[in-house]
Amino acid sequence: METRTQTDKTVDLTKEEVRTPSFDVSSLAGQGDPMLAQNPVMIDVRGLHVYYGDFLAVKNVDMPIRQNEITSLIGPSGCGKSTVLRCFNRMNDLIETARVEGVIEYHGVNLYGDSVDPVEVRRRVGMVFQKPNPFPKPIYDNIAFGPRIAGWNGKMDDLVEESLRRAALWDEVKDKLHESAYALSGGQQQRLCIARAIATSPDVVLMDEPCSALDPIATLKIEELMLDLKKDYTIIIVTHNMQQAARVSDRTAFFSVDVSERGRTGYLVEFARTQDIFTKPEKKQTEDYITGRFG
Amino acid sequence: MTDTRAHFHGELADLEQTLLNVADQAEQMVQMAVEAVCLPDMDLAAQVVRLDVKIDQTYLDVHNRWMQLMALQQPMAGDLRMMSVLLHLNTTLERMGDQCVNIAKMAQVTYGLPRSETIIAHLREMGDLVRPMIRTGVEALVRRDLDEARLLPAMDEPVDRLNRNMYKEVVECGPDPELLEWATRMMLVARALERIGDQVVDIAEQTAFLLTGDLMEFNDDAFSGGQPLGG
Repeated sequence: METRTQTDKTVDLTKEEVRTPSFDVSSLAGQGDPMLAQNPVMIDVRGLHVYYGDFLAVKNVDMPIRQNEITSLIGPSGCGKSTVLRCFNRMNDLIETARVEGVIEYHGVNLYGDSVDPVEVRRRVGMVFQKPNPFPKPIYDNIAFGPRIAGWNGKMDDLVEESLRRAALWDEVKDKLHESAYALSGGQQQRLCIARAIATSPDVVLMDEPCSALDPIATLKIEELMLDLKKDYTIIIVTHNMQQAARVSDRTAFFSVDVSERGRTGYLVEFARTQDIFTKPEKKQTEDYITGRFG
Repeated sequence: MTDTRAHFHGELADLEQTLLNVADQAEQMVQMAVEAVCLPDMDLAAQVVRLDVKIDQTYLDVHNRWMQLMALQQPMAGDLRMMSVLLHLNTTLERMGDQCVNIAKMAQVTYGLPRSETIIAHLREMGDLVRPMIRTGVEALVRRDLDEARLLPAMDEPVDRLNRNMYKEVVECGPDPELLEWATRMMLVARALERIGDQVVDIAEQTAFLLTGDLMEFNDDAFSGGQPLGG
């Protein structure tokens, strides 16, 4: 039975604060698999509509995202999955005409509330993009950049090492921390971007097609990393690769698209445990998409 | 609707058709095996053994094709359930063929022994009950018909009853040692037919799984509903 118990954490999104990392720098010990069924809802999406000007891009999304789970968003091109993902850290604010209706609660706080500071939202909800986009700086500075801006004044070396270890990159870069990030391979650059995202101690990491520019081995490394990271983070991933969604995610949201003369409007067809989506989806539309019968 | 995986779905349909053909052959083998015992007819018994060799070859061929589809196509959702059903069906049909061979061999080893007409009548009755079960089980799968699949436990019930009563009939064949030897072998024939009936019920359970996504045990008490396995 789906319950929507929220996290009991209280959050203040109104201003930036100087924070120490939420993890213990001295320890890398895992915390075991969380009990999936009991995980509280961290981001609760209710009745979400996204507009670009007058145009309705995505309609009527209800989706409880649970803590320490990996949630994947799948569906055909133009179904609005990236648009929905970008609502979770208010990246759509950067598009002038974008407008959101409905509620997205993060730890019970409306992300689109009047007093919410989008910069603070983005610190707590990190993002990794399709193409690795390291800063044109040394590896070390890529990680240290965010915490420095946030005014963090702990031991930066420890934070850099811990972030790189968490992103499973430390052993490959520890001897060249002051070399350019551009010298790394694509897969390494993407893991650097993950390390950079978690250096500001978010509790949610958004990934928008994080492996689409990577080779199969680099892809599997990122997937393994995601499974490790979910002990400490809540991950939401947009992927075109259904096998990837099946391999890594706990829950899957399948989006589709309505085409009218006014354009294409995305909507959520089915949101369920990944094992159910890929073995016995409830909706015929999901079944048809997953088995390749669509058009 | 466009099928973007038309080649894969074609191969899946071919695999299903191969197994449906095997099921037809199994139905025919049941009739031949029972007749081989009841007439008795040694040529029929030998034919059953030869047909089973073909079923065994098809079993290996289907297994290889199944492995390839699984490895190369990574089926999902309804396709994945169909793959599971086909793997199960392949094993079940191969075992049905083996049970027919068991019956045919009993015809061979009892040839020339005295017989009980009562037992023969009951074995024929079992055969006449089991063959329509195979037909119904296969049709339920072909038509994707859950209601038809759920008919199978009730059809299996008289087969089980005849098998249970066989013990008493065998005991009544004493004290003639030759008749008793023949009757004891016939108990194994009844047992083989009873097993084939159970295997058809298994096929019906697989059909229900294909259609609902839940693996159900069609036990006798709940054949109208079915009990999900594993809680």
